Amino acid sequence: MKYAWIILLLAIGGCMCSSVDKHQNHSIVRVRWVRDPENLSPLVQPNQNAVEALGLLHCSLLQLDFATGEHMPSLADSLPRLRLIGDSLTEVQYQLRQEATWDNGRPVLASDVAFTLKLYQCPGLPNEKAKAQLSFIRAVKLYPAYPRRFTLVCRGQVPGFSYETGDFPILPEAALDAKHTLRSYSLAQLARLSSLPPRDTTLTALVSRYQHADPSHHPERLPGCGAYRLVAWDIDRFLTFVRKPHWWADTLRPAPFVLQAKPRQLTYVIISDENTAALALRRHELDVLPQLSARAFRRLRAADSTDQELSFYSIPSYELLMAGFNTRRPMLRDSLTRQALGQLFDPAQLQRATQLGQGLRTVGLVHPHNWRYYNDSLPLPAYTPRRAAALLRQAGWQRRLAGWVQTKNPPQAAPQALTLRMRYRADDPTFATIALQFRAAAAALGIPVALLPTESSSFTKALREGDFDLYVRKVSSTPFTFDFTTLLHSRTIPESNFTKFSTPTTDRLIEDIATTGAPAQRRQLLRRFQAIVQAQAPLVPLFFLPYRLAADRELQHLYPSGYKPGYYAAAATWNLATGTVAAH
Amino acid sequence: MKRWLLLQIGRAGLAAWATASLVFILSRLLAAGAEEALLGEAPDLQTRTVASSPVARQALQQRLGLDEPVFYVTRTSRDPAAWRWHGPHNQYHRWLAGLLRGQLGWSYRTGQPIGPQLRAAFAYTLPLAVLAAAGATVAALGLGLALASGGPASGGWRAALHLALTSLQGIPVYALALGLLFVFANPDALNLLPAYSLGANPADLTPAAYALQLIMPVLTLVLAVLPELALPLAAALRHELRADYATTARAKGVPAARLLRHHALPNALLPLLTSFANLLPTLLAGTVLVESVFSLPGMGRLLAEAAAAHDYPVVVAGVLVTAGVRLLCLALADVLYALADPRIRLAL
Repeated sequence: MKYAWIILLLAIGGCMCSSVDKHQNHSIVRVRWVRDPENLSPLVQPNQNAVEALGLLHCSLLQLDFATGEHMPSLADSLPRLRLIGDSLTEVQYQLRQEATWDNGRPVLASDVAFTLKLYQCPGLPNEKAKAQLSFIRAVKLYPAYPRRFTLVCRGQVPGFSYETGDFPILPEAALDAKHTLRSYSLAQLARLSSLPPRDTTLTALVSRYQHADPSHHPERLPGCGAYRLVAWDIDRFLTFVRKPHWWADTLRPAPFVLQAKPRQLTYVIISDENTAALALRRHELDVLPQLSARAFRRLRAADSTDQELSFYSIPSYELLMAGFNTRRPMLRDSLTRQALGQLFDPAQLQRATQLGQGLRTVGLVHPHNWRYYNDSLPLPAYTPRRAAALLRQAGWQRRLAGWVQTKNPPQAAPQALTLRMRYRADDPTFATIALQFRAAAAALGIPVALLPTESSSFTKALREGDFDLYVRKVSSTPFTFDFTTLLHSRTIPESNFTKFSTPTTDRLIEDIATTGAPAQRRQLLRRFQAIVQAQAPLVPLFFLPYRLAADRELQHLYPSGYKPGYYAAAATWNLATGTVAAH
Repeated sequence: MKRWLLLQIGRAGLAAWATASLVFILSRLLAAGAEEALLGEAPDLQTRTVASSPVARQALQQRLGLDEPVFYVTRTSRDPAAWRWHGPHNQYHRWLAGLLRGQLGWSYRTGQPIGPQLRAAFAYTLPLAVLAAAGATVAALGLGLALASGGPASGGWRAALHLALTSLQGIPVYALALGLLFVFANPDALNLLPAYSLGANPADLTPAAYALQLIMPVLTLVLAVLPELALPLAAALRHELRADYATTARAKGVPAARLLRHHALPNALLPLLTSFANLLPTLLAGTVLVESVFSLPGMGRLLAEAAAAHDYPVVVAGVLVTAGVRLLCLALADVLYALADPRIRLAL
C-alpha cells in the first residue's frame, strides 16, 4: 500500500507509452514552432511563423525553390519580363497560370493582384509594414483583353524587381470587394493617403468589411489559392493545416517544385522550451525540430548516438553576425582606429564557442557561397592584438598608464581617451559571448569597454539615436539582394544606417551595385565595395550563423537550407519502407 | 459580515484599478514604444525599404491610438516646460471608459479583444493552480503532522524529510520542471509521461489524457510551494505541543496522535491561512515557468510573452485581473481567520 502511488504512476505511464506509437500516422508531419504566429492576416505577417503559415494558405506570384535556391514561378506562369522606362522606372510584366483558381473554381486573375496591392496601400488597415515594403510599386496596368496579364510599374531600375515584385500573397477580390469598389482608386492615390478620408464611404466600408472578416484569426474567411487550409488553431498550442483534396496545381505536369504539397496534414506545435521540444522529438511526439541552438543540437546528437533515430543538419544561413562602430564619435572617426578595434574580435574562437564551429566566416556582407561576387582576395577578419596596437599608434593614439589617449587639435585641449560603450541585445547569449570576448581582448590592450545589454526594441531605438560606440547585432540577408542602402547609404542615416558611415564614393557604389544587372560589372563593383568596407571598417563582419535542424530519420525531402525557415515542410515525405505521406 | 465583505471587494477593486493605472501610465512612458516591437527588429539586407520608417511608425501609432496624450495632463518638454490639460482626449481616459463598459481593450499583437484571450488562458491556469494548491495543502498537512509528531530533536527519516524540504525550497521552479521532465519524459530515463502538455490533436485530448498531461506541471508547482506550507506548519504544531493545554491533555492521557490532530492542528492552522493567501502569487509566478516548459497556454505565459513583446494592453489587463484576484484572496484569508478563530472580529 505504501508504494501504491508508484505502481499507479507506472501503470498510467505504461498506458501512455503504449499510446505513443512511433510514427502514429504517416500522413502527418509535425513541426515545432517556438512561438505562435499570432496573426494570420496577409497584411500584417508579424513573424516568420506567420509568413510560413500564410505560404501554405496563399500563393504568391513567385516562390523560392529550396532545391535550386532560386525564385521560380508559382502563380505566375513564368518569370516576369523587365522593361526599363526612362531613367527612373521599371515595368515588370507577369502572366498568371491558366490553371490557377480559387477554391470556388473561379480563376485567379490580374484584377486579384491589383486588388491585393491596393489593399496593402489602403489606409485604415493594419498594413504599415507591408505598405513601406511595397511602396516601390507605383501602378498596376491591366489588359482587358488578357485578364491574366498585368504590368507593375516600379520606382527605380533595380534587377531585383524580377523577384521582389512577386513575393507577397495574392488575395481574392471577390471575398472582400465583390462590387469592385476599390477599382475606382489608383494604387498611387491610395499610397498617398495616410489616414482614411472622413467622407470616403467606399474605403470606410472596405475597411469595415476587412475588420468584420477578421482574417487575422479567421483565415478561412479570406480563402487563398494555396494547397492547405487551416482546420484548427489553438493559440499558443498548435495549428493544423490539411491539404485540399482538389488543388488547382495538382493538374500541372510536370509539377513545379514550388507547387508541391506532399503531406496530407501539417501540424505546427508551439513548444517554447527547447529542452521540452528535444525530448518530444526523441519520444516521436514531433517530427521536425528546426532553429536548434548549438547546445541543444550537440546534446540531442549525443543522446541519439545509440538509437540513431534522428537526422541532423547544419547549413550556413544568410544571417550575419557583425559589429558596427558609431563613426560620428570623434574617437571612431578615423578608419585606422576602427580597423584596430576590429582586430580585437576573434571570429574563429567565437564561432567555435557559440556555434560548435558551424557557420561560415566572411570578409564582408556578401555570403561566401555567392562565389561569383564574394571577394576572396581579402583577408578574413582575425584576432591580432599586436596589429591592433600598431594601428592605434598609427592613428595617433598613445598608450599611457591610464589607457590610450589622443591629443586633440588644438594641442592645449584635453586629450581624448579611448573608452568604449558596447551595446547588444540582451536576449541572445551569443551576443553576450561576443561582447565579453571583445571586452577581455580590449582590456588586455588597456582599452576599457562598458557593456550595455539592451532589450530588443529599446536596442533599435538606441542605435537609431546613436547611443552607442560599438554594437553587435545580427543582420538577415539573402543571396539575391545586393542592395546595401539600408546599412551603409547616407540616405538611410539614422533610420537604418546606424554606423552613420557614408562617403560619396560608397553611396555611388551602393547605387551602382543595386541597379547593375550585368553579372560581370556587378562582380567588379561588389568586389570593390567589399574592399572599401573592409578598409574603412564601419562594420566588422564576424560570421554567417548556421541553421540547425533535427528531424526523424525516416522523414525525407525536407530540403534543409540556409533560407528561412530552414526547411520546406510541404515537400516532406516519409521513407517508403514505412509508408508515404504523398496525397496524390 | 456582508457589509464587511462588500467593503473588502470594493477596496480590492480600487486597489487593482490603482495598480493597473500605474502600470498603464508607466508602460506608456517607456523609452521604446510598442510600435518598435510591432514593426520588427532592426532593419536588415532582405529588403530595400525600412519597415520601421518614421512614416510607418506614425501610421501605426495613429491606428493604435498611441499618438494621443497618455494622461489628462502632460508636461511639455519644450523650454520653458509647462503643464498642459488635454481633457478626455487621452489614452488613459479611453482605457478607463472601456474598462467601465467591461472592455479590457485590444491586443497590439493579435488585434483581438483581450477579454476572451484572458478567459482562454485562465481556463488552462485555473485547474493547474487549483490542483496545485489543493495538492500542496494536503501534502503540507500530511508532512507537517509527520514532522511535528516526532518532536524537535527527533532524527531519522524526519530529519531527512526536513532536510529534503529545506533543500527543495532552494531549487528554482524552472530547474524543478526540467528535472521532472528529464526523469519522467526521457527515453533514457523513465519514459512515462508526455514531454509537452495537451498534445497537438484535439481528438487526443480525452479527460484521461488531459489528467495524465497535467501530472508534471501540477507536481512541479506542488513541489515548488510545498516547503513554504509544510515547514511553518510543522513549526507551529511543535509550538502548540509545547503549550500548557497540550501538557494538560497529555496528563489526562490523550493519545499523541489525537492530541496532534484534534488539539494542536486547529490552533496551528492560523499561520497556514496566511501562507495559503500568499500561495496565489507564488503559484502565478511559478506558472510562468511551468507553462513555458510544459507548453501550456495559460495566464503566466500570456503575460510573460505580452510583456516581452510590449503588448501593453494585455499586460495591463493581466495586472488588473491578477491584482484583483490576489486582493480577494487576502480578503478570503481574513474571513477564514474569523471562522477559524472566533476571537478575531472583522472590523470595518
